[in-house]
Amino acid sequence: MKVSVNTEIAITYLSARKKQTLVAALGVTFGISMFIFMQSLMKGTNDYFEKSSFSTTPHIRLYNENKVADTHLMDNFFKDKSIKILENPKQIQENQGLTNPYGIINEIKKNPQVVAVTPQVTTNVLYNSGSVQISGSVAGVNIVQEDKMFDMQSNMVAGDFHDLDRVNNGLLIGKGIADKLSLHVGDNITVRAATGSAMIMRVIGIYATTIKQIDETKSYANITQAQNMLGKDRSYVTDIKINLKDYNNAPPVARELEILTGYKAEDWVQANEQIKAAFKIRAVILNSVIGVILLVAGFGIYNILNMTIYEKIKEIAILKATGFTGPSVVSIFLQQAIYIGLMGAVVGIVIGFSITLLASKIYIGAGTLKYLPMSFYIPHYVEAIFFGVITTVAAGFFPARKASKVDPVTIIRG
Amino acid sequence: MDVKTALKATSLNKYFHDPVTFQVLKNITLEVKKGEFVSIVGKSGCGKSTLLYLLSTMDTDYEGAIEINETKVTGLSLNDLARIRNESIGFVFQFHYLLPDFSCLKNVMIPALKLGKLSYKEVEEKAYEKLKLFGVEEQALKRADRLSGGQQQRVAIARALINDPSIIMGDEPTGNLDSKNTQVVFEMFQKLSKEMGQTLITVTHDEDFARKSDRIIEMADGEILSHGK
Repeated sequence: MKVSVNTEIAITYLSARKKQTLVAALGVTFGISMFIFMQSLMKGTNDYFEKSSFSTTPHIRLYNENKVADTHLMDNFFKDKSIKILENPKQIQENQGLTNPYGIINEIKKNPQVVAVTPQVTTNVLYNSGSVQISGSVAGVNIVQEDKMFDMQSNMVAGDFHDLDRVNNGLLIGKGIADKLSLHVGDNITVRAATGSAMIMRVIGIYATTIKQIDETKSYANITQAQNMLGKDRSYVTDIKINLKDYNNAPPVARELEILTGYKAEDWVQANEQIKAAFKIRAVILNSVIGVILLVAGFGIYNILNMTIYEKIKEIAILKATGFTGPSVVSIFLQQAIYIGLMGAVVGIVIGFSITLLASKIYIGAGTLKYLPMSFYIPHYVEAIFFGVITTVAAGFFPARKASKVDPVTIIRG
Repeated sequence: MDVKTALKATSLNKYFHDPVTFQVLKNITLEVKKGEFVSIVGKSGCGKSTLLYLLSTMDTDYEGAIEINETKVTGLSLNDLARIRNESIGFVFQFHYLLPDFSCLKNVMIPALKLGKLSYKEVEEKAYEKLKLFGVEEQALKRADRLSGGQQQRVAIARALINDPSIIMGDEPTGNLDSKNTQVVFEMFQKLSKEMGQTLITVTHDEDFARKSDRIIEMADGEILSHGK
């Protein structure tokens, strides 16, 4: 391999000052490994929260939203261009259920993006046990489908959720409810819906999610049971829950479904805006920390090259006197910066990966979270090298340019 | 016989501005033929070194015009000048200015590697030859800062010759050498001008050295007193 003379000089200078080169490279190593560690932690955390939000929220939820009265009836009636003003509009009293839910479900299933659709009856209830009464909600579901969508199995604390389909009046309650009402599997509980009569249900299982609020309020019943509780017929469905192949497509698909069905389709992004906000805040924190680390590493390189240039100023002068152009001198010093950066980045990647691996073994044990969520994501490593090299080039550029401006006459004549 | 002009300077004026403006060179005009061995002599501070640095293209802050090998170099960009120096001008300074981190051989090779006309192997062989001329080939693989002062200066001269420059300039090239080595260098210079047709311009205090050269240019107070014969 033919090595250019600039490269040869750059490498000789670096190896003549091994200690300083090493210190500068260590700065980069530290920056890069922190970059990888923090990125992996953030992506791991974000993935975890995203996943956990899907343990309770479908990608899209279709439901009947109460609408405020508008003027479209008047517009249709008068058929003129006058402006109608509706004073003090009120919400229109409508049936909470969806019209022809199974027709809608069949229609939704035709969408190639959709992988799972399940109907649900949701109602607010009061739980009674002894003299204590707490409010909450019951979701009437097809529990097998629910398990496919939300992995109910992993949340089960006691009992078997399949009993919802086997036991008459079975109820799967959250751990919070169980604790508050001191209930165990096999106990009875009185559930009173806002409409309809009180029913005595049997606790067939207890589940726990990471979200306390859900555990304290929500319980599951068979969909038929929930319809009975409300005194409604078998076609009464309040929500249709839809999962897609790729949850990132939820917003556009939701818009399509709104147009198709005329009902409100809420995607998970709308339902979990606080999670999105948290992602953004974490990204800002992360980027500022990484920025500072890389800046410090950059200053290390800047400093060392500056010192080299002060020490070598006579040599730079003589190089210029013997015919090295300004760009050649820039190349000599910039190459030193790049080699420092590359060395630091390669070691940094190895260390970053090791730290990430170690951190993924840290036990957390809260809710469904067992270990620190770390992701091993190749683009992080590519980015790390990229940013490492960018930093070193930026840090090396100014000293290199300074070196290229050395005036040989002033230096040689003293 | 019409001998080509190696270097021609017309009406050079040069000022120093710090601490006060002071004219170092006053309307200097001179011409050096190809193959000539010229010595510039004069008292300290008469401007002879300054003149040499102007002629060498390193110092570009002057009035007037300089031609090297019948090409005008005044007004060229710094990078173009660097290329001209690399190819056509060899330098010997009073101090050796070798790169201490490199071996002597590498020091000699670097300007030729920069020029890039020969392969690495050829450059290496040529550098050995040059070192041999000055009897320092034994030291070729030693680091430059491990040599004695005289040896370093001889390596530095070998470096100046590596690209077979048409003009060799010396600022007190023998200032740090003993009489024996001065003699070696002088004979070498003479050989270069007579046999290789290379032009030599040296600034020197050594009267003996100057007397033996082809022509002496005498300077005083920024002016040329005599252009020699």
